[in-house]
Amino acid sequence: MEGEVKLETLTKSFGAVVAVDGIDLHMPPGEFFTMVGPSGCGKTTTLRMIAGFERPTSGQILLDGIDVAQTPPHRRNVNTVFQSYALFPHLNVADNVAFGLKYRKATKDERRSRVAEMLGLVQLTGFEKRMPSELSGGQQQRVALARALVLRPRVLLLDEPLGALDARLRKDLQVELKALQAEIGVTFVFVTHDQEEALTMSDRIAVMNGGHVEQAGPPQAVYEEPQTFFVADFLGVSNLIGAQARGKDGNGCRIQIGERSLMAQQGAIDAQGTVKAMIRPERVRVEPQNTPGDNRLPGMVEHAVFLGSFRELRVRLPGGDVVKAVFPNDGSPLTFDEGTPLTLHFPPEALRVLAPSTDGAAPDDVPEEESPNGH
Amino acid sequence: MSWLRNPWGQPRFLPLLTGAYILWSIIPVAIAVLFAFNDGRSRTTWQGFSMRWFTGDPTGSVAHNPEYTAALEHTLILALICVVITVPLGVALALGLQRWRGRGSGSVNTLMLLPLVTPELVMGVALLLLFLNIFNGWGIGTTAQAIGQVTFAISYVVVIVRGRLVSIGREYEEAAADLGAPLHGRLLRVVLPLLAPAILASAGIVFALSIDDFVVTQYLAGGSDTNTVSMLLYATARGAPTPALNALATITLVLTLVTLALAYLVYRKFAGAGGAAEAATLGEM
Repeated sequence: MEGEVKLETLTKSFGAVVAVDGIDLHMPPGEFFTMVGPSGCGKTTTLRMIAGFERPTSGQILLDGIDVAQTPPHRRNVNTVFQSYALFPHLNVADNVAFGLKYRKATKDERRSRVAEMLGLVQLTGFEKRMPSELSGGQQQRVALARALVLRPRVLLLDEPLGALDARLRKDLQVELKALQAEIGVTFVFVTHDQEEALTMSDRIAVMNGGHVEQAGPPQAVYEEPQTFFVADFLGVSNLIGAQARGKDGNGCRIQIGERSLMAQQGAIDAQGTVKAMIRPERVRVEPQNTPGDNRLPGMVEHAVFLGSFRELRVRLPGGDVVKAVFPNDGSPLTFDEGTPLTLHFPPEALRVLAPSTDGAAPDDVPEEESPNGH
Repeated sequence: MSWLRNPWGQPRFLPLLTGAYILWSIIPVAIAVLFAFNDGRSRTTWQGFSMRWFTGDPTGSVAHNPEYTAALEHTLILALICVVITVPLGVALALGLQRWRGRGSGSVNTLMLLPLVTPELVMGVALLLLFLNIFNGWGIGTTAQAIGQVTFAISYVVVIVRGRLVSIGREYEEAAADLGAPLHGRLLRVVLPLLAPAILASAGIVFALSIDDFVVTQYLAGGSDTNTVSMLLYATARGAPTPALNALATITLVLTLVTLALAYLVYRKFAGAGGAAEAATLGEM
């Protein structure tokens, strides 16, 4: 199967700024691969290197086993959907889609039928003579897709293609895009800063930060088993609580939070010393004050937010950490006014030990700009 | 005088000043144009409307004065030559400068603007010396006049085209490369069509600049057959000419205004909303 991308110690520096710092990534053929991370993490620069717009400082880009790192963009069999779509404003929809076919050996009839086929695929039949300025954002995005896919690329690169759309349309297009990818089986390499988008659409994601890949794998695995503070914090909402690890105890790790000793069965259960205990807000159980049992901590409601079908509580622990808890609005009689004391239950199987990583900067420590000539 | 001091309204003094200035600057031109249509020989006393000095008069009108028609013809030919040479050169320069990001690009950018601020007299004299002493094989005349005009007009083309290039950005070119277009394909199918309004507008500006130019054109003129309208106006203005001279001036004025208006309209129409601001600055030139 075609469309495999392998990045090997790929590096790009702009002067003194290292945008991409020796990353290794494997993008299997036919998969929906997403690079996700905050602004400035190097995801767009990596995508632009695969497209050929940026020349790597060092490293290799293997497209089906052949290094294309020094090949100019017009000789690479990959195509891009740009964030702003970059539809040629002086050409109508059909001419935009047909643009690249001129450089392929195709007869005029062949060209016409392929354009028609593509516009059918993106449900824009009948729009051939429209100009890009006469289309809505969603329609422009489909034209950009058709224009890239008509060339039957081995890999389709998508640079935040849903970024310019409103929330509702965005959700619809996420589903459509994923379905389209499954239908045509082309490798999609997708870039986004939206963790939810990354989790819902991808077969595999790579969480990037500061020019490095923090963690790569299937979305569920990365979400459930984050290996660094950064990944835990960036993907979804996590509670990170300061703790002392006391070493392995049975199939878990004994950790000390404040004066209480808890059991954590996930993550770095061999760790010793200062660590973070992580738990997802939806896994925290809220119980009345002084409920007896293991793995429980007292706390005080600092803030309660009513979210309709859910409630979100922010509970302050004696040690000062604030824990978020989200639970369904099942009509439970507990009151959650500010200042209400209660007990938090952290089930051992939901509590994860994160040992500090070497470069696990928090997401908000990252510089704002993407790359010197980013968008 | 209370309306002058109305504290709630717009300041009255500034519109008055503006109005006065506009009147002051238009009146001399308007009078000169008016007397082009005078029925008598006088350029100061109005004797009724006629087209006599344009075409009617069998000896004195512009159409029947070989000196005038020759100057008009030479002016137009020079303007066309200037457009044909300056615009492609200027576009090429703008494209090159836009992509040149390395050492020295900054100083070259500044140097490109130098002809815009150099006193024309200095440039004219310098060019004259150049053609008399160094390129003396060419000598002065039509070729020298054209080269001289191209030299200063090219800056305008570069400034206008680069402005457009900046507002277009690099994304369309990247998209074209991504779709398989080699360099010439990107230029012909994407960059030049997107630059078309700027190219047409700068052609209009160059045409108008060439028609209006006096200093450089007159220094590099080689004889009476290389006289332009502006030179003729200068030479005869203090003599005792007929309203035919006004008619000649009116013709060049109308040509200049029409070209500039066309350039402005073309630019506005094709550059879209993003080009409106650029078009406005163009209109001020």
